[in-house]
Amino acid sequence: MIDFQNVSKSFSTDHAILANASFTVTTGEFVFIAGPSGAGKSTLLKLIAGLEAPDAGQITVNGQLLKHLSARARPYLRRSVGVILQNTHLLYDRNAIENVLLPLAVVGQAPETARTRARAALDKVGLSHKENANPIELSGGEQQRLAIARAIVNRPAILIADEPTANLDRDTARKVMNVFKDFNQVGVTTLVATHDEELMAEYAQRVFVIEPGRFRDFPVQRSA
Amino acid sequence: MKQWLRQHRYALNVTLRRLVLQPFSWLANTLVIALALSLPLIGASILTSVQPLVREVSITPEMTLFMKPNANPNMAADIAQRIQKANHANVSSVKVISKDLALSELSQNPAWAQALNVLEGNPLPDVVVVGLVSNDQIVAQAESFSQTWQNWPGVDFVQLDSAWVQRLEALMSFGRIGLGLITLVVGLVVLAAIFNTVRMQALSQREEIAVARLVGATEGFVRRPFLYQGGLTCGIAACLSMGLCLWALNPLNQALLGLAKSYGTEFSLNLPSAGVLLLCLFAAITLGAISARWSVTRNTRF
Repeated sequence: MIDFQNVSKSFSTDHAILANASFTVTTGEFVFIAGPSGAGKSTLLKLIAGLEAPDAGQITVNGQLLKHLSARARPYLRRSVGVILQNTHLLYDRNAIENVLLPLAVVGQAPETARTRARAALDKVGLSHKENANPIELSGGEQQRLAIARAIVNRPAILIADEPTANLDRDTARKVMNVFKDFNQVGVTTLVATHDEELMAEYAQRVFVIEPGRFRDFPVQRSA
Repeated sequence: MKQWLRQHRYALNVTLRRLVLQPFSWLANTLVIALALSLPLIGASILTSVQPLVREVSITPEMTLFMKPNANPNMAADIAQRIQKANHANVSSVKVISKDLALSELSQNPAWAQALNVLEGNPLPDVVVVGLVSNDQIVAQAESFSQTWQNWPGVDFVQLDSAWVQRLEALMSFGRIGLGLITLVVGLVVLAAIFNTVRMQALSQREEIAVARLVGATEGFVRRPFLYQGGLTCGIAACLSMGLCLWALNPLNQALLGLAKSYGTEFSLNLPSAGVLLLCLFAAITLGAISARWSVTRNTRF
């Protein structure tokens, strides 16, 4: 599903984000990416989504070697990767359902089917009663869930989220994490960047720890 | 195919929504472009209306030699022969109109008949009409012939009949070049106006473009609404400019009607043919879309 082979990435000579990092994430895994602020958690997610290019090494996502993907082909890969950034990037000149309809318009979905699917996505994140609300009228947790609905409406195989619970209280953060868990349980490979150790302890199956120039992979053993 | 059509419909909806959200700025922009497009359109209307009038008049250069009233009646025929022999390469025809023939033709005109009856003799001279072969040196040649023939015995004076038509033709040619230059300048103005409008729009839609790319939009998907915006703005501006020209030609035609009647003719300024107008509309839409594409490609590299 996601395969990194000796991937290196740095933004300056003295600031290496990744150095020869290699790992594989298989279908249906739930992986947390942990590390201090500025360590490169967001960069790792952007490398997976094809939003950044590595300095060295090979990245394979959904069986496609990213460095062989042309600029024209990259958007089609992004359709199979749902991305939720820390800043939700919601469009405030549209209501909630119109925000969710955007990815469906991108793939040219028929209007009626698109509306049905957008409503289903809002329902999955518990926002079906807010479909006509402007994002500005929603709370922080609701905005985050709306961003999730937009990311999953095209049924991506991979879901990546960058600090989705950073500005949320404990209860709301847990609700958001439960949404990710639900998607993961139906087979969506999920990667969440966070520095919230409590949430990691509660939800993680596997944790990647990124520290400057160092990458560690910790499988988490859970009792049934 | 359906998917492609849906994406175009979506782009058109996005364009219309953006225009509706900023109606005054869009209207002002469209009006400016329409006014700019009106200039070459009015020019083209004048040229296309005058063109047939010029074509009706023969532009074959002709010179007329008026003989002295007391000249020997055979002198005109001698001069005609002499011209024909000496300048056969530059002369296309030579015709002698005797004073008697001219008088009889003039007498048939009722307006002149009474006046001629009052006169005792024939006041008209014998005339030799020389048709010249048209070429680049025609004006210089005619001038040279005029000076030579003027000094021949029996010749009173020499007149170049079609000089004014040639001047008019030269003026039309000047007008055509001028119109071409105006069209070019207006084209550049439209290009700049659309480029800037789309640049502003693209910057204000920065967030939407970034999100669209994030969810897998192709560059074509991102650019399409801007292309529609450029094409639509220029298309509507072109239609508006045609309406403005039609409206402006009305008072001009009222004024021309009186002038034309005083010359016993009818003349009016009209818009170019429907085919030409359709071509103009298509050109304006294409120019708008090209300019928008250029602008959006340059201004969405983030």
